[in-house]
Amino acid sequence: MLRVEGLEVGYGDLQVVWGVSFQVPKDSIVAILGPNGAGKTTTLLALMGLLPVKAGSASFHGESVIGLQTHQMVERGLVMIPEERAAFASLTVEENLDLGSYTSRARSSRADTLDEVYETFPRLAERKTQLAGTLSGGERQMLAIGKALMARPELLILDEPSLGLAPIVVEQIFGVIREIRDRGVSVLMVEQHLEMALESADYAYILEMGSIATEGTGPDLEADSRVQEAYLSL
Amino acid sequence: MSSQLILQTVVSGILVGGIYGLVALGLALAFGVLKVLNVAHGELVMLGGYATFFAFTYWGLDPFVAMPFVLAVMFGFGVILYLLLFRYVTRTEIQTRIKNSLLISFGLVLVLQAMAVRFFTADERTISTTYSLEALTIGTLRIPIVRLAGFVVAVVAALALEWMMSRTRFGRALRATSEDWTRAALTGIDVRRVYLVAFAISAALAGIAGSVVSLGYSVSPSIGLEWTLNALIVVVLAGLGSMRGIIAAGLFLGVVESLAGIWIGNQYREVTALVLFLVVLSFRPHGFFGRAYA
Repeated sequence: MLRVEGLEVGYGDLQVVWGVSFQVPKDSIVAILGPNGAGKTTTLLALMGLLPVKAGSASFHGESVIGLQTHQMVERGLVMIPEERAAFASLTVEENLDLGSYTSRARSSRADTLDEVYETFPRLAERKTQLAGTLSGGERQMLAIGKALMARPELLILDEPSLGLAPIVVEQIFGVIREIRDRGVSVLMVEQHLEMALESADYAYILEMGSIATEGTGPDLEADSRVQEAYLSL
Repeated sequence: MSSQLILQTVVSGILVGGIYGLVALGLALAFGVLKVLNVAHGELVMLGGYATFFAFTYWGLDPFVAMPFVLAVMFGFGVILYLLLFRYVTRTEIQTRIKNSLLISFGLVLVLQAMAVRFFTADERTISTTYSLEALTIGTLRIPIVRLAGFVVAVVAALALEWMMSRTRFGRALRATSEDWTRAALTGIDVRRVYLVAFAISAALAGIAGSVVSLGYSVSPSIGLEWTLNALIVVVLAGLGSMRGIIAAGLFLGVVESLAGIWIGNQYREVTALVLFLVVLSFRPHGFFGRAYA
Protein backbone atom coordinates (compact mmCIF):
# COMPACT_ATOMS: atom_id res chain seq x y z
CA MET A 1 0.00 0.00 0.00
CA LEU A 2 2.83 2.39 0.92
CA ARG A 3 6.13 1.92 -0.87
CA VAL A 4 9.15 4.07 -0.09
CA GLU A 5 12.31 3.72 -2.14
CA GLY A 6 15.76 5.24 -1.77
CA LEU A 7 14.58 8.09 0.44
CA GLU A 8 17.27 10.67 1.22
CA VAL A 9 16.58 13.49 3.66
CA GLY A 10 18.64 16.13 5.39
CA TYR A 11 18.57 19.40 7.24
CA GLY A 12 20.44 21.88 5.03
CA ASP A 13 23.89 20.44 4.38
CA LEU A 14 23.50 17.73 6.99
CA GLN A 15 22.15 14.54 5.48
CA VAL A 16 20.45 12.26 7.97
CA VAL A 17 18.67 9.61 5.93
CA TRP A 18 20.64 7.78 3.24
CA GLY A 19 18.53 5.84 0.81
CA VAL A 20 15.93 4.21 3.02
CA SER A 21 13.46 1.77 1.42
CA PHE A 22 10.54 0.04 3.05
CA GLN A 23 6.96 -0.87 2.41
CA VAL A 24 3.76 -1.25 4.35
CA PRO A 25 1.37 -3.90 3.00
CA LYS A 26 -2.36 -3.65 3.67
CA ASP A 27 -3.67 -4.72 7.09
CA SER A 28 -0.30 -5.01 8.73
CA ILE A 29 1.82 -3.38 11.39
CA VAL A 30 5.26 -2.41 10.16
CA ALA A 31 7.86 -1.09 12.57
CA ILE A 32 10.97 0.95 11.92
CA LEU A 33 13.29 0.37 14.83
CA GLY A 34 16.61 1.70 15.83
CA PRO A 35 18.58 3.79 18.28
CA ASN A 36 18.13 7.48 18.92
CA GLY A 37 19.48 9.58 16.08
CA ALA A 38 19.19 6.84 13.46
CA GLY A 39 16.88 9.00 11.35
CA LYS A 40 13.55 7.37 12.17
CA THR A 41 11.59 10.53 12.92
CA THR A 42 13.29 12.36 10.07
CA THR A 43 12.08 9.66 7.68
CA LEU A 44 8.49 10.05 8.85
CA LEU A 45 8.54 13.86 8.77
CA ALA A 46 9.90 13.82 5.22
CA LEU A 47 7.27 11.30 4.16
CA MET A 48 4.57 13.60 5.56
CA GLY A 49 5.91 16.59 3.64
CA LEU A 50 7.32 18.37 6.66
CA LEU A 51 10.95 18.07 5.54
CA PRO A 52 12.28 18.39 2.00
CA VAL A 53 13.11 15.10 0.28
CA LYS A 54 16.49 15.14 -1.52
CA ALA A 55 16.01 11.96 -3.48
CA GLY A 56 13.89 8.84 -3.62
CA SER A 57 10.26 8.07 -4.15
CA ALA A 58 7.21 7.29 -2.09
CA SER A 59 3.93 6.02 -3.41
CA PHE A 60 0.62 5.32 -1.74
CA HIS A 61 -1.75 3.02 -3.65
CA GLY A 62 0.65 3.35 -6.57
CA GLU A 63 0.43 7.15 -6.68
CA SER A 64 3.45 9.28 -5.87
CA VAL A 65 3.03 11.30 -2.68
CA ILE A 66 6.37 13.13 -2.78
CA GLY A 67 5.89 16.90 -2.91
CA LEU A 68 2.37 16.85 -1.48
CA GLN A 69 1.68 19.22 1.37
CA THR A 70 1.10 17.74 4.80
CA HIS A 71 -2.64 18.40 4.89
CA GLN A 72 -2.99 16.76 1.48
CA MET A 73 -1.36 13.61 2.87
CA VAL A 74 -3.92 13.58 5.68
CA GLU A 75 -6.65 14.06 3.07
CA ARG A 76 -5.40 10.90 1.34
CA GLY A 77 -5.59 8.88 4.52
CA LEU A 78 -1.99 8.96 5.73
CA VAL A 79 -2.28 10.21 9.28
CA MET A 80 0.72 10.68 11.52
CA ILE A 81 0.78 10.99 15.29
CA PRO A 82 3.89 12.97 16.16
CA GLU A 83 6.09 12.16 19.12
CA GLU A 84 4.73 13.44 22.46
CA ARG A 85 1.82 15.81 23.08
CA ALA A 86 0.16 15.21 19.73
CA ALA A 87 -3.07 16.80 20.95
CA PHE A 88 -3.51 20.53 21.42
CA ALA A 89 -3.10 21.45 25.08
CA SER A 90 -5.24 24.59 24.89
CA LEU A 91 -8.23 22.76 23.38
CA THR A 92 -10.60 20.46 25.21
CA VAL A 93 -10.63 16.71 24.59
CA GLU A 94 -13.75 16.97 22.45
CA GLU A 95 -12.46 19.99 20.51
CA ASN A 96 -9.31 18.01 19.76
CA LEU A 97 -11.28 15.04 18.50
CA ASP A 98 -13.53 17.29 16.44
CA LEU A 99 -10.50 18.93 14.88
CA GLY A 100 -9.22 15.44 14.09
CA SER A 101 -11.94 15.19 11.43
CA TYR A 102 -10.98 18.49 9.80
CA THR A 103 -10.37 17.00 6.38
CA SER A 104 -13.24 16.59 3.95
CA ARG A 105 -12.59 12.84 3.75
CA ALA A 106 -13.40 12.53 7.47
CA ARG A 107 -15.97 15.26 8.00
CA SER A 108 -19.09 13.47 6.81
CA SER A 109 -18.62 10.44 9.07
CA ARG A 110 -17.60 12.58 12.02
CA ALA A 111 -20.38 11.63 14.45
CA ASP A 112 -20.01 7.88 13.86
CA THR A 113 -16.24 7.99 14.21
CA LEU A 114 -16.58 9.96 17.43
CA ASP A 115 -18.82 7.23 18.89
CA GLU A 116 -16.29 4.58 17.87
CA VAL A 117 -13.43 6.50 19.46
CA TYR A 118 -15.35 6.93 22.71
CA GLU A 119 -16.10 3.22 22.63
CA THR A 120 -12.43 2.38 22.22
CA PHE A 121 -11.37 4.91 24.86
CA PRO A 122 -14.17 5.34 27.43
CA ARG A 123 -11.77 7.46 29.47
CA LEU A 124 -11.85 10.14 26.78
CA ALA A 125 -15.64 10.31 26.95
CA GLU A 126 -15.38 10.94 30.69
CA ARG A 127 -12.95 13.80 30.09
CA LYS A 128 -14.68 15.41 27.08
CA THR A 129 -14.73 18.93 28.44
CA GLN A 130 -11.31 18.86 30.06
CA LEU A 131 -8.38 20.73 28.47
CA ALA A 132 -5.99 18.29 26.82
CA GLY A 133 -3.10 19.94 28.65
CA THR A 134 -4.44 18.61 31.95
CA LEU A 135 -4.51 14.91 30.94
CA SER A 136 -2.07 12.29 32.17
CA GLY A 137 0.57 10.90 29.82
CA GLY A 138 -1.41 7.77 28.99
CA GLU A 139 -4.64 9.68 28.46
CA ARG A 140 -2.85 12.12 26.20
CA GLN A 141 -1.54 9.26 24.06
CA MET A 142 -5.10 7.83 23.89
CA LEU A 143 -6.35 11.25 22.82
CA ALA A 144 -3.60 11.44 20.20
CA ILE A 145 -4.65 8.08 18.78
CA GLY A 146 -8.34 8.96 19.03
CA LYS A 147 -7.74 12.25 17.24
CA ALA A 148 -5.83 10.43 14.47
CA LEU A 149 -8.66 7.89 14.09
CA MET A 150 -11.07 10.79 13.66
CA ALA A 151 -9.23 11.57 10.42
CA ARG A 152 -10.35 8.15 9.04
CA PRO A 153 -6.82 6.95 8.28
CA GLU A 154 -5.96 4.16 5.88
CA LEU A 155 -2.42 4.20 7.16
CA LEU A 156 -1.73 5.31 10.71
CA ILE A 157 1.82 6.46 11.34
CA LEU A 158 3.04 6.56 14.94
CA ASP A 159 6.23 8.15 16.16
CA GLU A 160 7.43 6.51 19.40
CA PRO A 161 4.02 5.63 20.85
CA SER A 162 5.64 4.23 24.00
CA LEU A 163 7.72 7.30 24.80
CA GLY A 164 7.49 8.41 28.42
CA LEU A 165 4.72 5.98 29.32
CA ALA A 166 4.58 3.44 32.16
CA PRO A 167 5.06 -0.20 31.01
CA ILE A 168 1.45 -1.12 31.74
CA VAL A 169 0.19 1.81 29.69
CA VAL A 170 2.57 0.87 26.87
CA GLU A 171 1.04 -2.61 26.90
CA GLN A 172 -2.44 -1.08 26.58
CA ILE A 173 -1.40 1.25 23.77
CA PHE A 174 0.12 -1.61 21.78
CA GLY A 175 -3.07 -3.59 22.38
CA VAL A 176 -5.04 -0.72 20.85
CA ILE A 177 -2.63 -0.52 17.92
CA ARG A 178 -3.19 -4.22 17.13
CA GLU A 179 -6.93 -3.68 17.43
CA ILE A 180 -6.71 -0.82 14.96
CA ARG A 181 -4.86 -3.06 12.50
CA ASP A 182 -7.51 -5.77 12.90
CA ARG A 183 -10.12 -3.17 11.96
CA GLY A 184 -8.38 -2.67 8.63
CA VAL A 185 -6.11 0.28 9.23
CA SER A 186 -2.47 -0.37 8.40
CA VAL A 187 0.09 0.87 10.86
CA LEU A 188 3.61 2.19 10.42
CA MET A 189 5.43 2.88 13.65
CA VAL A 190 8.80 4.05 14.72
CA GLU A 191 10.10 2.75 18.04
CA GLN A 192 13.12 2.65 20.28
CA HIS A 193 11.40 0.14 22.53
CA LEU A 194 12.40 -2.94 20.48
CA GLU A 195 10.98 -5.89 22.34
CA MET A 196 7.49 -4.49 22.63
CA ALA A 197 7.43 -3.38 19.01
CA LEU A 198 8.75 -6.69 17.63
CA GLU A 199 6.01 -8.53 19.48
CA SER A 200 3.30 -6.50 17.74
CA ALA A 201 4.86 -5.88 14.35
CA ASP A 202 4.20 -8.11 11.36
CA TYR A 203 7.37 -6.88 9.75
CA ALA A 204 10.20 -4.67 10.95
CA TYR A 205 13.14 -2.70 9.62
CA ILE A 206 16.14 -1.76 11.69
CA LEU A 207 17.52 1.64 10.90
CA GLU A 208 21.09 2.56 11.80
CA MET A 209 22.93 5.75 10.90
CA GLY A 210 20.32 6.68 8.34
CA SER A 211 20.08 3.42 6.41
CA ILE A 212 18.36 0.06 6.81
CA ALA A 213 20.70 -2.36 8.59
CA THR A 214 18.44 -5.39 8.53
CA GLU A 215 14.80 -6.35 8.13
CA GLY A 216 12.47 -9.26 8.73
CA THR A 217 9.39 -10.49 10.52
CA GLY A 218 9.12 -9.96 14.27
CA PRO A 219 10.17 -13.49 15.31
CA ASP A 220 12.99 -13.56 12.73
CA LEU A 221 14.51 -10.41 14.08
CA GLU A 222 14.07 -11.53 17.67
CA ALA A 223 16.03 -14.66 16.82
CA ASP A 224 18.69 -12.75 14.89
CA SER A 225 21.85 -12.83 16.94
CA ARG A 226 23.09 -9.50 15.68
CA VAL A 227 19.88 -7.77 16.68
CA GLN A 228 19.94 -9.49 20.03
CA GLU A 229 23.48 -8.41 20.67
CA ALA A 230 22.91 -4.85 19.61
CA TYR A 231 19.60 -4.09 21.27
CA LEU A 232 17.78 -6.79 23.12
CA SER A 233 20.51 -7.57 25.63
CA LEU A 234 20.47 -4.00 26.87
CA MET B 1 -9.54 68.04 41.64
CA SER B 2 -13.23 67.39 41.31
CA SER B 3 -14.71 63.94 41.26
CA GLN B 4 -16.66 65.02 38.18
CA LEU B 5 -13.46 65.57 36.26
CA ILE B 6 -12.13 62.22 37.38
CA LEU B 7 -15.33 60.46 36.34
CA GLN B 8 -15.32 62.23 32.97
CA THR B 9 -11.67 61.24 32.51
CA VAL B 10 -12.30 57.61 33.39
CA VAL B 11 -15.19 57.44 30.92
CA SER B 12 -13.11 58.98 28.11
CA GLY B 13 -10.36 56.54 29.01
CA ILE B 14 -12.73 53.59 28.70
CA LEU B 15 -14.06 54.82 25.35
CA VAL B 16 -10.59 55.15 23.82
CA GLY B 17 -9.48 51.97 25.62
CA GLY B 18 -12.01 49.94 23.67
CA ILE B 19 -10.24 50.95 20.48
CA TYR B 20 -6.85 50.12 22.01
CA GLY B 21 -8.27 46.69 22.70
CA LEU B 22 -9.56 46.29 19.14
CA VAL B 23 -6.25 47.33 17.59
CA ALA B 24 -4.39 45.02 19.97
CA LEU B 25 -6.66 42.09 19.07
CA GLY B 26 -5.59 42.30 15.44
CA LEU B 27 -1.94 42.55 16.36
CA ALA B 28 -2.25 39.63 18.76
CA LEU B 29 -4.06 37.50 16.18
CA ALA B 30 -1.26 37.88 13.63
CA PHE B 31 1.37 37.34 16.28
CA GLY B 32 -0.35 34.41 17.92
CA VAL B 33 -1.16 32.50 14.75
CA LEU B 34 1.61 33.45 12.29
CA LYS B 35 4.27 34.39 14.89
CA VAL B 36 4.63 37.55 12.83
CA LEU B 37 5.07 40.84 14.68
CA ASN B 38 3.54 43.39 12.35
CA VAL B 39 4.67 46.83 13.51
CA ALA B 40 2.81 48.27 10.51
CA HIS B 41 -0.47 47.32 12.19
CA GLY B 42 -0.97 50.97 13.19
CA GLU B 43 -0.57 51.98 9.54
CA LEU B 44 -3.40 49.62 8.68
CA VAL B 45 -5.50 51.51 11.24
CA MET B 46 -4.47 54.71 9.46
CA LEU B 47 -5.52 53.32 6.07
CA GLY B 48 -8.86 52.16 7.46
CA GLY B 49 -9.34 55.67 8.78
CA TYR B 50 -8.62 57.26 5.40
CA ALA B 51 -10.85 54.80 3.58
CA THR B 52 -13.73 55.79 5.85
CA PHE B 53 -12.88 59.49 5.55
CA PHE B 54 -12.78 59.46 1.75
CA ALA B 55 -15.90 57.34 1.46
CA PHE B 56 -17.63 60.00 3.53
CA THR B 57 -16.12 63.05 1.79
CA TYR B 58 -16.42 61.90 -1.81
CA TRP B 59 -19.41 59.61 -1.79
CA GLY B 60 -21.20 60.98 1.22
CA LEU B 61 -21.25 57.54 2.73
CA ASP B 62 -22.12 57.54 6.41
CA PRO B 63 -19.14 56.11 8.38
CA PHE B 64 -21.25 53.39 9.95
CA VAL B 65 -22.57 52.36 6.55
CA ALA B 66 -19.02 52.46 5.20
CA MET B 67 -17.66 50.14 7.91
CA PRO B 68 -18.59 46.83 6.25
CA PHE B 69 -16.94 48.04 3.04
CA VAL B 70 -13.84 49.20 4.91
CA LEU B 71 -13.77 45.79 6.58
CA ALA B 72 -13.90 44.03 3.22
CA VAL B 73 -11.34 46.32 1.57
CA MET B 74 -8.89 45.94 4.44
CA PHE B 75 -9.43 42.17 4.48
CA GLY B 76 -8.45 42.20 0.81
CA PHE B 77 -5.49 44.44 1.52
CA GLY B 78 -4.43 41.98 4.22
CA VAL B 79 -4.57 39.16 1.67
CA ILE B 80 -2.35 41.18 -0.69
CA LEU B 81 0.16 42.03 2.05
CA TYR B 82 0.34 38.40 3.10
CA LEU B 83 0.86 37.11 -0.42
CA LEU B 84 3.38 39.84 -1.25
CA LEU B 85 5.40 39.93 1.97
CA PHE B 86 4.49 37.92 5.02
CA ARG B 87 4.06 34.62 3.19
CA TYR B 88 7.84 34.48 2.86
CA VAL B 89 8.34 35.20 6.54
CA THR B 90 6.13 32.29 7.57
CA ARG B 91 8.28 29.85 5.62
CA THR B 92 11.10 30.26 8.11
CA GLU B 93 11.52 28.77 11.57
CA ILE B 94 9.39 30.27 14.33
CA GLN B 95 12.39 32.00 15.97
CA THR B 96 13.42 33.67 12.72
CA ARG B 97 9.92 34.87 11.96
CA ILE B 98 9.81 37.55 14.65
CA LYS B 99 12.96 39.37 13.61
CA ASN B 100 12.27 38.99 9.88
CA SER B 101 8.74 40.25 10.30
CA LEU B 102 10.01 43.22 12.32
CA LEU B 103 12.34 44.22 9.49
CA ILE B 104 9.75 43.75 6.79
CA SER B 105 6.92 45.43 8.62
CA PHE B 106 9.14 48.34 9.62
CA GLY B 107 9.85 48.86 5.94
CA LEU B 108 6.13 48.65 5.32
CA VAL B 109 5.58 51.40 7.93
CA LEU B 110 7.87 53.74 5.98
CA VAL B 111 6.30 52.91 2.62
CA LEU B 112 2.69 53.27 3.81
CA GLN B 113 3.43 56.51 5.66
CA ALA B 114 5.23 58.05 2.71
CA MET B 115 2.46 57.01 0.35
CA ALA B 116 -0.18 58.42 2.69
CA VAL B 117 1.62 61.79 2.78
CA ARG B 118 1.96 61.76 -0.99
CA PHE B 119 -1.63 60.83 -1.80
CA PHE B 120 -3.64 62.01 1.21
CA THR B 121 -1.41 64.99 2.30
CA ALA B 122 -0.17 65.40 5.84
CA ASP B 123 -3.34 67.21 6.98
CA GLU B 124 -5.15 65.90 9.98
CA ARG B 125 -8.62 64.68 9.00
CA THR B 126 -11.74 64.13 11.02
CA ILE B 127 -15.17 63.15 9.80
CA SER B 128 -17.83 65.68 10.75
CA THR B 129 -21.28 64.23 10.34
CA THR B 130 -24.53 65.89 11.37
CA TYR B 131 -24.42 63.95 14.63
CA SER B 132 -20.71 64.46 15.35
CA LEU B 133 -21.26 67.08 18.03
CA GLU B 134 -24.12 65.35 19.78
CA ALA B 135 -23.53 63.92 23.19
CA LEU B 136 -25.24 61.86 25.81
CA THR B 137 -25.48 63.81 29.03
CA ILE B 138 -25.86 62.05 32.37
CA GLY B 139 -25.74 64.63 35.15
CA THR B 140 -22.47 66.44 34.53
CA LEU B 141 -21.05 63.55 32.54
CA ARG B 142 -20.85 64.19 28.82
CA ILE B 143 -20.36 61.28 26.41
CA PRO B 144 -19.89 62.15 22.72
CA ILE B 145 -22.21 59.95 20.65
CA VAL B 146 -19.62 59.09 18.00
CA ARG B 147 -17.10 57.92 20.60
CA LEU B 148 -19.71 55.85 22.37
CA ALA B 149 -20.79 54.27 19.08
CA GLY B 150 -17.15 53.65 18.19
CA PHE B 151 -16.69 51.90 21.49
CA VAL B 152 -19.72 49.71 20.82
CA VAL B 153 -18.34 48.80 17.38
CA ALA B 154 -15.01 47.83 18.97
CA VAL B 155 -16.68 45.61 21.55
CA VAL B 156 -18.96 43.96 18.97
CA ALA B 157 -15.97 43.23 16.70
CA ALA B 158 -14.10 41.72 19.64
CA LEU B 159 -17.06 39.55 20.61
CA ALA B 160 -17.49 38.40 17.01
CA LEU B 161 -13.84 37.37 16.88
CA GLU B 162 -14.12 35.54 20.16
CA TRP B 163 -17.22 33.72 18.96
CA MET B 164 -15.41 32.66 15.81
CA MET B 165 -12.36 31.45 17.71
CA SER B 166 -14.26 29.39 20.26
CA ARG B 167 -17.33 28.20 18.38
CA THR B 168 -16.38 27.59 14.78
CA ARG B 169 -14.25 24.84 13.34
CA PHE B 170 -12.06 27.35 11.57
CA GLY B 171 -11.54 29.14 14.88
CA ARG B 172 -10.33 25.90 16.41
CA ALA B 173 -8.00 25.43 13.49
CA LEU B 174 -6.65 28.92 14.20
CA ARG B 175 -6.07 28.07 17.84
CA ALA B 176 -4.45 24.77 16.95
CA THR B 177 -2.16 26.45 14.44
CA SER B 178 -1.11 29.07 16.96
CA GLU B 179 -0.24 26.35 19.45
CA ASP B 180 1.87 24.28 17.04
CA TRP B 181 1.72 24.63 13.26
CA THR B 182 3.41 21.28 12.61
CA ARG B 183 0.83 19.36 14.58
CA ALA B 184 -1.90 21.46 12.97
CA ALA B 185 -0.65 20.41 9.53
CA LEU B 186 -0.55 16.78 10.66
CA THR B 187 -4.18 17.18 11.74
CA GLY B 188 -5.06 17.97 8.14
CA ILE B 189 -5.23 21.74 8.48
CA ASP B 190 -3.99 23.73 5.50
CA VAL B 191 -1.69 25.91 7.59
CA ARG B 192 -0.87 28.36 4.80
CA ARG B 193 -4.54 29.05 4.27
CA VAL B 194 -5.02 29.58 8.00
CA TYR B 195 -2.12 32.05 7.94
CA LEU B 196 -3.61 33.92 5.01
CA VAL B 197 -7.06 34.24 6.57
CA ALA B 198 -5.72 35.09 10.04
CA PHE B 199 -3.58 37.88 8.61
CA ALA B 200 -6.48 39.19 6.55
CA ILE B 201 -8.75 39.21 9.62
CA SER B 202 -6.04 41.04 11.52
CA ALA B 203 -5.93 43.73 8.82
CA ALA B 204 -9.75 43.91 8.71
CA LEU B 205 -9.85 44.50 12.47
CA ALA B 206 -7.29 47.30 12.07
CA GLY B 207 -9.47 48.76 9.31
CA ILE B 208 -12.56 48.80 11.53
CA ALA B 209 -10.52 50.42 14.28
CA GLY B 210 -9.46 53.02 11.71
CA SER B 211 -13.09 53.78 10.86
CA VAL B 212 -13.81 54.38 14.52
CA VAL B 213 -10.71 56.56 14.91
CA SER B 214 -11.58 58.74 11.91
CA LEU B 215 -15.01 59.34 13.35
CA GLY B 216 -14.42 60.05 17.02
CA TYR B 217 -10.77 61.10 16.85
CA SER B 218 -8.57 62.07 13.91
CA VAL B 219 -6.46 60.57 11.14
CA SER B 220 -3.14 61.70 9.68
CA PRO B 221 -0.35 59.76 7.95
CA SER B 222 1.73 59.59 11.13
CA ILE B 223 -0.81 58.19 13.61
CA GLY B 224 0.26 54.57 13.06
CA LEU B 225 3.18 54.35 15.43
CA GLU B 226 1.16 55.50 18.41
CA TRP B 227 -1.51 52.85 17.76
CA THR B 228 1.06 50.12 17.25
CA LEU B 229 2.83 51.06 20.49
CA ASN B 230 -0.40 51.12 22.45
CA ALA B 231 -1.43 47.79 20.97
CA LEU B 232 1.93 46.28 21.92
CA ILE B 233 1.53 47.56 25.46
CA VAL B 234 -1.97 46.10 25.65
CA VAL B 235 -0.81 42.71 24.36
CA VAL B 236 2.00 42.62 26.90
CA LEU B 237 -0.40 43.65 29.68
CA ALA B 238 -2.91 40.97 28.77
CA GLY B 239 -0.64 38.22 27.57
CA LEU B 240 -1.44 36.09 24.55
CA GLY B 241 -4.24 33.61 24.51
CA SER B 242 -7.12 35.52 26.07
CA MET B 243 -9.25 37.79 23.90
CA ARG B 244 -11.32 39.15 26.74
CA GLY B 245 -8.07 39.79 28.55
CA ILE B 246 -6.89 41.92 25.66
CA ILE B 247 -10.05 44.02 25.65
CA ALA B 248 -9.83 44.41 29.45
CA ALA B 249 -6.18 45.45 29.18
CA GLY B 250 -7.13 47.94 26.46
CA LEU B 251 -9.70 49.55 28.75
CA PHE B 252 -7.18 49.57 31.59
CA LEU B 253 -4.55 51.28 29.46
CA GLY B 254 -7.08 53.83 28.23
CA VAL B 255 -8.07 54.73 31.78
CA VAL B 256 -4.49 54.84 33.09
CA GLU B 257 -3.39 57.10 30.22
CA SER B 258 -6.32 59.45 30.69
CA LEU B 259 -5.81 59.69 34.44
CA ALA B 260 -2.09 60.28 33.92
CA GLY B 261 -3.13 63.09 31.60
CA ILE B 262 -4.93 65.00 34.36
CA TRP B 263 -2.83 63.92 37.34
CA ILE B 264 0.70 64.07 35.97
CA GLY B 265 0.28 66.20 32.87
CA ASN B 266 -0.87 65.58 29.34
CA GLN B 267 2.66 65.27 27.98
CA TYR B 268 3.26 62.27 30.25
CA ARG B 269 0.41 60.10 28.96
CA GLU B 270 2.55 58.00 26.68
CA VAL B 271 5.44 57.89 29.11
CA THR B 272 3.10 56.48 31.74
CA ALA B 273 1.99 53.81 29.31
CA LEU B 274 5.57 52.85 28.52
CA VAL B 275 6.49 52.71 32.20
CA LEU B 276 3.52 50.42 32.74
CA PHE B 277 4.82 48.30 29.86
CA LEU B 278 8.26 47.92 31.46
CA VAL B 279 6.86 47.16 34.89
CA VAL B 280 4.61 44.40 33.55
CA LEU B 281 7.41 42.95 31.42
CA SER B 282 9.70 42.81 34.46
CA PHE B 283 7.28 41.34 36.94
CA ARG B 284 4.72 39.46 34.91
CA PRO B 285 6.13 38.63 31.49
CA HIS B 286 3.16 36.40 30.62
CA GLY B 287 0.76 39.28 31.24
CA PHE B 288 -2.26 39.24 33.49
CA PHE B 289 -4.41 36.84 31.52
CA GLY B 290 -1.88 35.00 29.39
CA ARG B 291 -1.18 31.34 29.65
CA ALA B 292 2.42 30.39 30.18
CA TYR B 293 2.84 27.75 27.49
CA ALA B 294 6.36 26.78 26.61
